[in-house]
Amino acid sequence: MTSSNRTDRWIPDAVEALKQADVEVVAHLPDSKIGPLIEAVESDSAFETVQVAREEAAIGVLTGAWVGGTRGALLCQSSGLANAINAIGSLTLPARTPFFAVVTRRGNLGEFNVAQVPVGYNIDRILDDFGVRNDTVTEADDVGHHIRLAAESAFSTATPYIILLEQTVTGSKLEGL
Amino acid sequence: MSDGTPKTADQTACTRRLLDVTPDAVLVSNLGVASYVLAGVADRERNFYQWGSMGVTIPVGVGLALVSDEHVTVLEGDGSLLMSLGELTTVAQHNLDNLTVVVWDNETYATTGGQPTRSPAVDFVGVAESCGVHATEVHSTNAFETAYRNAIATDGTSMIVCRVDPVDTDDRPPIDYPTIARRVRDAIADDPDQ
Repeated sequence: MTSSNRTDRWIPDAVEALKQADVEVVAHLPDSKIGPLIEAVESDSAFETVQVAREEAAIGVLTGAWVGGTRGALLCQSSGLANAINAIGSLTLPARTPFFAVVTRRGNLGEFNVAQVPVGYNIDRILDDFGVRNDTVTEADDVGHHIRLAAESAFSTATPYIILLEQTVTGSKLEGL
Repeated sequence: MSDGTPKTADQTACTRRLLDVTPDAVLVSNLGVASYVLAGVADRERNFYQWGSMGVTIPVGVGLALVSDEHVTVLEGDGSLLMSLGELTTVAQHNLDNLTVVVWDNETYATTGGQPTRSPAVDFVGVAESCGVHATEVHSTNAFETAYRNAIATDGTSMIVCRVDPVDTDDRPPIDYPTIARRVRDAIADDPDQ
């Protein structure tokens, strides 16, 4: 049995911040924590949503959207971001295109699943090691402000920027698989 | 084939034919041979050559077609498609009228030395159809042109699997990767019909 202490107050702030950053396309692949944000953007006519089968496809979708003149964002979990690392390294970075993602970071405080730990706990260092800027948000009240600033920086500098949402923001599963 | 029909189409001739049919299309070409052949046939502002990210070529086309009124044709390879067959479910989800996917199936990883792929054992048309993408397979240059014209005229996204022989060419995109991306972006932004 799974229980959650998640509070969803950060979700409307995130949606508003994406709008203020002129994000119109949202590619996504869910986990339980970012699922409510995905549902919020899917139900909002301001966004065109694309469900990918593997997160690296989102790098392609969002690069294509930017080449077509439209800003986009990826919503996924840290394990999924790891699936996209080669696409970031072989498309986003060498083509000098922007990429913005809001990622639920697993593997740290409150993590119950050992399979989430190796990548999730180290994802900020993995990103640092190949030059991808990232920002870890630990307080729900900071979500909107940080998304807005990170997105603007990603698009104005045409580089990737990743927002990592800790489980102190999104809520932790307390037990069970 | 016993009836004398050529078993394979000519990739270079097919690339030329598709440009004749859709001269203003945005072409997203897979890394390696698909991009090399395209660059040799016609280096255009609307060619989005990929230099990396194998397995992500079709999603680039999806994103472009999603936000644009331009016709977008993806020139995929069999090795790249095998790497990411799941992306066909995303193609089916949106079923965009302005997107066509061409798969050059040469049964090899041509860019890395011609090692064989598993494509001879794969029914790409069946895979695509089961994901919800209309697809057809062709084995000659003339059949390719007919299939491409049909794909353009048909609602929704169509995928054409074109069996070709491996191509060895010294042609390359003449500009660097960042310039390629910005050249396409600028060409679309400057289109008065957009």
